[in-house]
Amino acid sequence: MSLENLLGNWSQYRKGHEEGGFHDYKHLWGMAIDLDICIGCNACATACYAENNLAVVGKERFEKGQAMHWLRLERYWDQNELDHPAQGASFLPMMCQQCDAATCEPVCPVAATYHTPDGLNAQVYNRCIGSRYCSNNCPYRNRYFNFYSYYEDSWPEPLNMQLNPDLTVRDKGVMEKCTFCVQRIRVAKDNAKMENRPVADGEAMTACAQACPTNAIVFGDYMDKDSQVAKLWKKHQVKLRLTKQNKENPELRGYRIFEELNVDPSVMYLERVREEV
Amino acid sequence: MAVNKQNHKSSSRLKLLLEKRHIWFAMLSIAAVLAVYPFVVMSSSSSAPEIVPPGGSHNGENVEQPIEFPHNTHVKDNGINCMYCHTYARRSKVAGIPPTSKCMGCHKVIATDKPRIQKLTEYWEQKSPPPWKKVHDVPDFVHFTHEKHLKRFVFDQDFPVENVKEVCAFCHGDVENMTVAHKVKPLNMGWCKTCHINNGGPGDCWACHK
Repeated sequence: MSLENLLGNWSQYRKGHEEGGFHDYKHLWGMAIDLDICIGCNACATACYAENNLAVVGKERFEKGQAMHWLRLERYWDQNELDHPAQGASFLPMMCQQCDAATCEPVCPVAATYHTPDGLNAQVYNRCIGSRYCSNNCPYRNRYFNFYSYYEDSWPEPLNMQLNPDLTVRDKGVMEKCTFCVQRIRVAKDNAKMENRPVADGEAMTACAQACPTNAIVFGDYMDKDSQVAKLWKKHQVKLRLTKQNKENPELRGYRIFEELNVDPSVMYLERVREEV
Repeated sequence: MAVNKQNHKSSSRLKLLLEKRHIWFAMLSIAAVLAVYPFVVMSSSSSAPEIVPPGGSHNGENVEQPIEFPHNTHVKDNGINCMYCHTYARRSKVAGIPPTSKCMGCHKVIATDKPRIQKLTEYWEQKSPPPWKKVHDVPDFVHFTHEKHLKRFVFDQDFPVENVKEVCAFCHGDVENMTVAHKVKPLNMGWCKTCHINNGGPGDCWACHK
């Protein structure tokens, strides 16, 4: 087969990152988060804890920065000079951005983290040796390391009955991160395949998007041009594979965090609008 | 003199070309092989995919079941389809153990004098299912669906459903000649992966690992 590789269309690999790179995705799961309608209620984080068997580490370990929240709600103050109620709190749900050119992937010495054909940054727990290079290389700090075995502390009997069987319970020494609820994506893809049809928009839904009371989080397949996500990205003139967005209308709110680092995140945020007093 | 020199030069060029003729021939033949090779590869891969059943063997321990269930009597002697009892195989992840009511559907009247059936009837009257033990158990971090495998190897192939036991035997062995089922295939990652390569299954880690 090496000759076949030799004769293959190599020009596709010579494309620059800004021309689309070499990926040939069937699905590309993406997200759009509207910070203007996010009320910072933490329902997404709670749903993530419930769905993904996340360990509750306790106050002390949380203070040491060992919390296992795959999705955290970052809090910012827009008007810091004012006092508390008028301070202007704004919230930003921060989960793994499933970068297309992820910085975590090439540094893994055992290839435990890799890019799936769906454009996700996968983490294979069985292969992980806990070198933590990926975590150090992630600009968003969205990878979490199991410094302890949390199973018995976090889910004492009978709480272990609430564990999601579609997911491994990670043990000590393993890195973990947001998977875009890959178990739900897998079910949606399986169902679609059994019925010989493409995956419909909204069929695969992450726990955070499902739990959001204001529908601030929209999840879907970016490759499906009719999906809500693809439409939102288009509406706000945000494109993948760019390090700087060239918008015709700069008033549009869409932006991606740290896209200037050329990591190409799959999550678009919509800026919060504030009325000037 | 000048003419002679010219002649000498041209003849030496011709000689050089002639000497190089074998190189031309070699290059041409390589080019021909290169041109034909992709068509050969494509034609061989575009023909109908043949099913390559997984090989390998494993000597699994005999699992002690609450009732020594004779698969051979049911499948071989009475010709009952695997999916009559393991109904969920074609529509869910797990193949399923039949409810006791399904056993009793027949065994209220058939072979009621046998000690195994009397034990089964006891369970039925106590309204508690026999505590069957799992024989083919993959680790918890593996996502495996029966339905997709049956779709690939039976329904998409127009394979006669009455012979489904031949497909089940890919992973479960020759159950029709066993009494209590025991593991005869390794069911480990290398074994799964070999079959996925041979039969075009997904090669993505996250297709199976969860």
